[in-house]
Amino acid sequence: MTALARHDLARQALGVLAVLLLWHLAAQAVLGSYMLSGPVAVATYLAEHHALIGRALWVTVQNAGWGFLAGNLAAILLVLVVALLPRMRVIVAAIALVVFCLPLVATGPVLRVLYGPGPGPQITLAALSVYYTTFIPLLVGLRAAPASWFDLMRLYGRGAWTTFVQVRLMAALPYLMAGLQIAAPAAFLGAMVGEFTGAERGMGVLSIRAMRALDVDATWAIALVAAAVSMLAYGAVGALARRLSHGRPDILMATAPERARGNAMLRGAGLAGVTLLVVLALWWVAMEAFDLSRFFAKRPDDLWRFLVTAPGAEGNRAALWAASSQTLVQVVPGYLAGLALGAVLAMVLVLVPWLAGAVLPLAIALRSVPIVTTAPLIVLALGRGSAGTITIVAVMTFFPALVACIQGLRQAPGQALDMMRIYATSPLMRLWHAQIPAMLPAFFAAARMSVPAAVLAVTVAEWLATGRGLGALMAMTASTSNYNMLWAAIVVVAAGSCLGYALVAWLERAVFSRVAPEQLRG
Amino acid sequence: MAEAMSPPGPDIICTEVAKTFGDAPAQVEAVAPLSLTFAGGQMTALVGPSGCGKSTLLRMIAGLEPPSEGAIRMGDESPQAMQRKGALAMAFQDASLLPWRSVQGNVALARKLARQDADPDAVAGMIARVGLAGFEQARPAELSGGMRQRVAIARCLVTQPRILLLDEPFGAVDELTRARLNVELPPLWQASATTCVMVTHSVREAVALADRVIVFSSRPARVVGDIAVPDASRSDRVAQLALVDQVSAALSRGWDETGPEARQAAQ
Repeated sequence: MTALARHDLARQALGVLAVLLLWHLAAQAVLGSYMLSGPVAVATYLAEHHALIGRALWVTVQNAGWGFLAGNLAAILLVLVVALLPRMRVIVAAIALVVFCLPLVATGPVLRVLYGPGPGPQITLAALSVYYTTFIPLLVGLRAAPASWFDLMRLYGRGAWTTFVQVRLMAALPYLMAGLQIAAPAAFLGAMVGEFTGAERGMGVLSIRAMRALDVDATWAIALVAAAVSMLAYGAVGALARRLSHGRPDILMATAPERARGNAMLRGAGLAGVTLLVVLALWWVAMEAFDLSRFFAKRPDDLWRFLVTAPGAEGNRAALWAASSQTLVQVVPGYLAGLALGAVLAMVLVLVPWLAGAVLPLAIALRSVPIVTTAPLIVLALGRGSAGTITIVAVMTFFPALVACIQGLRQAPGQALDMMRIYATSPLMRLWHAQIPAMLPAFFAAARMSVPAAVLAVTVAEWLATGRGLGALMAMTASTSNYNMLWAAIVVVAAGSCLGYALVAWLERAVFSRVAPEQLRG
Repeated sequence: MAEAMSPPGPDIICTEVAKTFGDAPAQVEAVAPLSLTFAGGQMTALVGPSGCGKSTLLRMIAGLEPPSEGAIRMGDESPQAMQRKGALAMAFQDASLLPWRSVQGNVALARKLARQDADPDAVAGMIARVGLAGFEQARPAELSGGMRQRVAIARCLVTQPRILLLDEPFGAVDELTRARLNVELPPLWQASATTCVMVTHSVREAVALADRVIVFSSRPARVVGDIAVPDASRSDRVAQLALVDQVSAALSRGWDETGPEARQAAQ
């Protein structure tokens, strides 16, 4: 071990000790308030219940593992479809986004009815929560090779298939691995949400039980174990990626928005219209093909009647609208606060580099902790009001934004920074003129990907804790078998997420067309 | 050497070849109609100002870019037919090695792409001939720029191509390395009487390596000089310097005729 590595290890050990000490002191300070359970209490709980937690963990890990496999296979298949039919790219990506925006907390109960008892819903939710974050980087990765590699293939008269095998697949490998790394903790999250909705065993079941019983020690112990396993999975896939692939992609998911031919607005509207039609058709065909009962498997026309033509439709619309606006006032401030804090902290870390060494590893580790594992803790600490929900949403957006912004700030060309140093410009000037422009693509990529994540966070928080908003509406209608309202809520959440995503993409375009038009050229 | 006995590579015949990029209002004429014959078994160097279209011409010869007008034949065959026979090879400005393949893997890939048998001995032999014995298992990231170009040349030659195209293959390495590569590598393809076309920025390199130097004007490329390099000049420094002067004079003539000053004067 080198002296430097020893030094690092010592610093990390000191950091862990400091965190444990602070945690202990904080727990002592709020003793008896049902907010925080100290390290001693958590350790005691784990020692006493290790068999129970071990069994639950094994169940959840299995479900997450199958979901991870299924979801990533689906992502790879989707990318192959796009590779074979490049014209379908935009529409396939749009439909993939819509499916990713389906709220897990509502699809869970629907899947529960569909599958009956067993691990079906958990595995499906795990698959649903991983496929998009593999699909998008893989889509970028398949095109991420210098032109001369393709020339080399053509030089020997080789066609698309050889090029695909020899160049595209291998060039895409780092992107695939990056996607799989994000997918590992996400699969755990999906499996746990699936377990919230009527499973018999697993970490999600224990977590819900502990929260309902206000068992603070159990809630903390379960959350920490789940978080640790997620971080471990994230680290393990990362280590595998470093072994397997020849390089890391610079910025994940920093895909420039599509180049618009003709009127961008008209094109966007056209795409939205086609996507809507295809999604409605797919929805209806899926329901009919499996001959699912109209009692719980609602079709588009059922919802039309429920919200427009049936008696009492006005009341239904009003209830939906009230819940939506309650959710909106929680999710928007949390989302914006998380993004802004992430970007600002990233800039501070660039200006104060020694701080970055301490904060960045922690931030990367915490980014991999699924929100459902920590949401109960935040609810315990901040209560069941708006503060807790907004904090959960902010935390959900903060870490991806921070990591992406730091990566982005580091993209600033070294020669441009050197050029500015020659004129003895201040670090702030360098930040403003070179580093922030370099950060924008990564920032917007994080902002786009955070929209569905923030919506997931707010609905989970409402569902677990606050009893207000769309999350609570979905939980209530699922338990009272009011499937019309449940499906209506699913549609509102998915449409809202897609709309938010499109809004951020539009903003991104507007900013780039002003500061970096070259980014928009395909 | 087996390839020393093979017949010379075919002539490359360009007939009224032109290339324009883009659509009507924003159209750019990269190569004005050109008729040129590159003699089989010879090395021809193309020199000209940056962006004059010489690389575009090379890419059209390689069959990577279709000409907007005219035709290119290699003997009786089209560039595409030569591609399918594995008879073409090209070295790019960056070595364009696949980073996930070892030196050996990159060189062996060319034989596979050209539909030739694997022949590990030929691969190992070619790696040794470019001076990289012992580096067979190294990845491109572990090599210097000069070493990567050596691998690229080995990849080109391992298929024993009839046509070899070099697009500033030593443009990205330092002057000293470049001088060494210029001495060590050309004998490898000169022995096999391959038809070679090389794009270069260096007048000295062109005169030192080529049998003939063609000088282009700035865009759209027109021939402003066509200078034969006699074999005798290789050992005669004075004759070489005279040729360098001749090529340089043609270059500046081409620049004066079509450069920004001339265009300004014409307006």
